[in-house]
Amino acid sequence: MAARGAIRSVKNYAKGYSDVQVKVREATSNDPWGPSGSLMNEIAQMTYNQHDFVEIMEMLDKRMNDKGKNWRHVFKALTVLDYCLHTGSENVVIYAKENAYIVKTLKEFQHIDEDGKDVGANVRQKAKDITALLLDETRLKEERSKRTAMRDRMANGRYT
Amino acid sequence: LPSRPVDREKAEADLAQNIKKATSPEETAPKQKHVRSCIVYTWDYHMSASIWAGLKVQPILSDEVQIFKALITVHKIIRQGHPVVLKDAQRETSWIETCARSTVGDGMKGYGRLIRGYVDFILSKLSFHKQHQEFNGTFEYEEYITLKGIDDPNEGYETIGELMNLQDQIDQFQKLIFNNFRGSSNNECRIAALVPLVEESYGIYKFITSMLRAMHRTMDALAPLRTRYNSQHYALLKFYYECSNLRYLTSLISVPKLPQDPPDLTISDSPTPG
Repeated sequence: MAARGAIRSVKNYAKGYSDVQVKVREATSNDPWGPSGSLMNEIAQMTYNQHDFVEIMEMLDKRMNDKGKNWRHVFKALTVLDYCLHTGSENVVIYAKENAYIVKTLKEFQHIDEDGKDVGANVRQKAKDITALLLDETRLKEERSKRTAMRDRMANGRYT
Repeated sequence: LPSRPVDREKAEADLAQNIKKATSPEETAPKQKHVRSCIVYTWDYHMSASIWAGLKVQPILSDEVQIFKALITVHKIIRQGHPVVLKDAQRETSWIETCARSTVGDGMKGYGRLIRGYVDFILSKLSFHKQHQEFNGTFEYEEYITLKGIDDPNEGYETIGELMNLQDQIDQFQKLIFNNFRGSSNNECRIAALVPLVEESYGIYKFITSMLRAMHRTMDALAPLRTRYNSQHYALLKFYYECSNLRYLTSLISVPKLPQDPPDLTISDSPTPG
């Protein structure tokens, strides 16, 4: 695992990725654990900066279109996208709707790992959930305002 | 141009490769990653001309497996691609017909009848879409069509009848596929054709259910449609049951679970299935 992380940081350096992109790569890596809430929150907050937003979406797009062997890239990119749809800037919503077919076509993502386990099912389910959310304007608005309200409450230290 | 980062030149080169790989002579399913790339291409550029051109430069027509894989690929792209693909496909019907004429009898590997059955179905689907441009390739339920049905019950009545004809055709074709399984092989390539058929039939089923429910509030002459709806419900139930026993298929998609008996269409506020 440490070696994997080391290779990733060499790649980050060699390919000249920005700090923002390095964060997205970290959150959507091939490590067998999910992206941390604090990292996703950091990324979602960065989508409010137009320049960072473009870099984040570029990297997520790359990860979502990765091959079967890298199914964790795809799965985690969907996880981060889902998080950003809830708490990121409105631009994320607009971008995701415009490019909905990227997520939608992942509903048939296939990959069986070396142990014969159907790991593609995770991706398919996530893709279904996000597609349904993008189609349901009312629910998306509700969930976004719920998250904002929750964050405000936490920030003010008032719990109801 | 799409807002996602793309490279047109690379996309065209990749597309040619993806078509070639999706329609390779191996008797397997067309790989979904190759089919998906074609679908994404049509949304990125709102075009499908390169796909048809790519299919025609492949030496597909001399090999029954390649023809069958090409038809599965075409069906999936028509279903999920940009709406422009449906329009473009109307102009390619003669090529699709050529596919049906390219095998004689059963063919060496037994795809002859399957190919002709698939061509018949795709042509019927295209002709339905030509007459009903308000439908997308996957028959996703859109409320405005239901409203349209209410405004003009006769039009709604006829549309449902035509949708049911298409549903019957899917049923015939899926039976043909099951009857042509071969004990000696794993049938993966044949089963691959069931994937878009399960999805298509379920899309049509959900659509008809929603439409009939909406119409029940406005008119009373639906008894014949209701009878037909019920018999199609049981046919689908059987189709999905048989599909759920195919391990290879259930590893690709989740087969819809229908209730044992048809839902009550007169209860207007009960939810749309799925």
